Amino acid sequence: MKKIINDPAAFVDEFVDGILLAHPDLLKVPGDDRRILVRADAPVAGKVGIVTGGGSGHLPLFKGYVGAGLCSGVAIGNVFSSPSSQQVFEATQAVHGGAGVLYLYGNYGGDVFNFDLAADLAELEDIETRTVLGRDDVASQPKERKTDRRGVAGIFFAYKAAGAAAERGDSLEQVAAVAEDVVEHTATMGIGLSPTILPTTQQPSFDLPDGEMEIGIGIHGEPGIHRGPLETADAIADRLVPALVADLGLADGDRVAVLVNGMGATPLEELYVLYRRVHQILAAQGVTIARRYVGEYATSLEMAGASISLLALDDARLALLDAPARSPFFQEG
Amino acid sequence: MRAPDMNAAVRSSLAELVGYADELRDLDQALGDGDLGITISLGAEAVIAALEQLPEDTSPSLLARECAKAFANANPSTMAALVAGGLLAGSKVWTDRDEVDVADAGRFVRAAGENIAQRGKTQLGDKTILDAIMPAADALEAAADAGAGLEAAIQAAGRAVVDTRGLQSRRGRASWLQERSIGLQDPGATAFWRFLESWHAASPATTPHS
Repeated sequence: MKKIINDPAAFVDEFVDGILLAHPDLLKVPGDDRRILVRADAPVAGKVGIVTGGGSGHLPLFKGYVGAGLCSGVAIGNVFSSPSSQQVFEATQAVHGGAGVLYLYGNYGGDVFNFDLAADLAELEDIETRTVLGRDDVASQPKERKTDRRGVAGIFFAYKAAGAAAERGDSLEQVAAVAEDVVEHTATMGIGLSPTILPTTQQPSFDLPDGEMEIGIGIHGEPGIHRGPLETADAIADRLVPALVADLGLADGDRVAVLVNGMGATPLEELYVLYRRVHQILAAQGVTIARRYVGEYATSLEMAGASISLLALDDARLALLDAPARSPFFQEG
Repeated sequence: MRAPDMNAAVRSSLAELVGYADELRDLDQALGDGDLGITISLGAEAVIAALEQLPEDTSPSLLARECAKAFANANPSTMAALVAGGLLAGSKVWTDRDEVDVADAGRFVRAAGENIAQRGKTQLGDKTILDAIMPAADALEAAADAGAGLEAAIQAAGRAVVDTRGLQSRRGRASWLQERSIGLQDPGATAFWRFLESWHAASPATTPHS
């Protein structure tokens, strides 16, 4: 596998440098540690800050959603590994505008430990925090254990809604409630077609033979619920969408937002082939697609594959999705 | 014990504890991913360096917090985060105290254990550090003086460590081994026991045999 890198050990620092050099009007480093990025105008006085974070290798996930109307800051780990509690804590200090800070990130053990410890450190500095975990991957746990699900691309909806709530001046309690509500009404499932090659080891992250696909794969290549021969785009959508519809309990007349996400090495054209079928299935069930997002929102370096996320909508969630937002990787309004 | 004495005692104990890093690494290689030795040695060195910089009049509570921060950042592993969170929880029971006695030490250890139990979603018998912490807390709280408390805590933790060999790991990476974990001694519980022994070795003035 060929890669455009310099020193594998410098990979994370160098792409962060690149993001900063490309977007100095939108992002800044608040201190000495370049693994911490915050929106250029942080801290915003009187507004709730939102800190996210996790491993690298998922762009635009995490650092791509820092900006006005989105997250306020991010702590960046090495490829597929957690940032430290100190980095999360420093991001917290840098975005605290006096109204507290929401921690919004995916449900992974190392991240949970380090964010929880950062919350303890923040408490010592009288910074109030709340935590909401993205846990939208229906393939990772059955519905009765949904609080244990891992977080994948669907966290985008929670960023968008919580960021809008913070921007309009909601309290920490309210912003956390918005994030929790969106997580509760989001479901995602994905398929993987090829592994990723880790920059540090230059080795594939998992083994998936030619001609096979993994259904329910995680964003680090974690196993899903089924492995089998590669199917057509329509057959893949026919597997994934009904599972999401059932999980959310969608019925005739309901409205949703759809996210068709590429894992890093799948062309947009293929994502639109997938979207076409998603649209047909939902229309046939009388479910209205009120908003749609097609592109790369959460990747695993160059893993091939795609995920489909649905957010069940009400008027409040729809308004938050439509609120203005601006980051280097996402603009709305 | 007042803060300056505690500062010196913690530094001496941790210098002693580093000597057990290889034992902890080996135990953790059998049950986990083998980084406990490095977590303990880098963490201990970072705490020692941080405490050397602390002003004389730092309170016991703030001293514990400095230990937590230094330990958490030295090698950010799950164990480091759990131990640091435990130290922060312990530091809260010492707020407003200039001097701590053996009962305060017991309350500190119990608060730390409860925090680790909550954060690690673990309970006694899961074959974790908690299995050594809680009996030590009981021993310290029941003791008449510091020397007797330390002796009793070491004995209780040591018994608990031996008992972990018969248990199956239920939390963390070790839980993936399932029944194959039986027979192996828990590295986290051992680390806490070795810390108590290191405290004893480094501060003979607090023992009844001095």
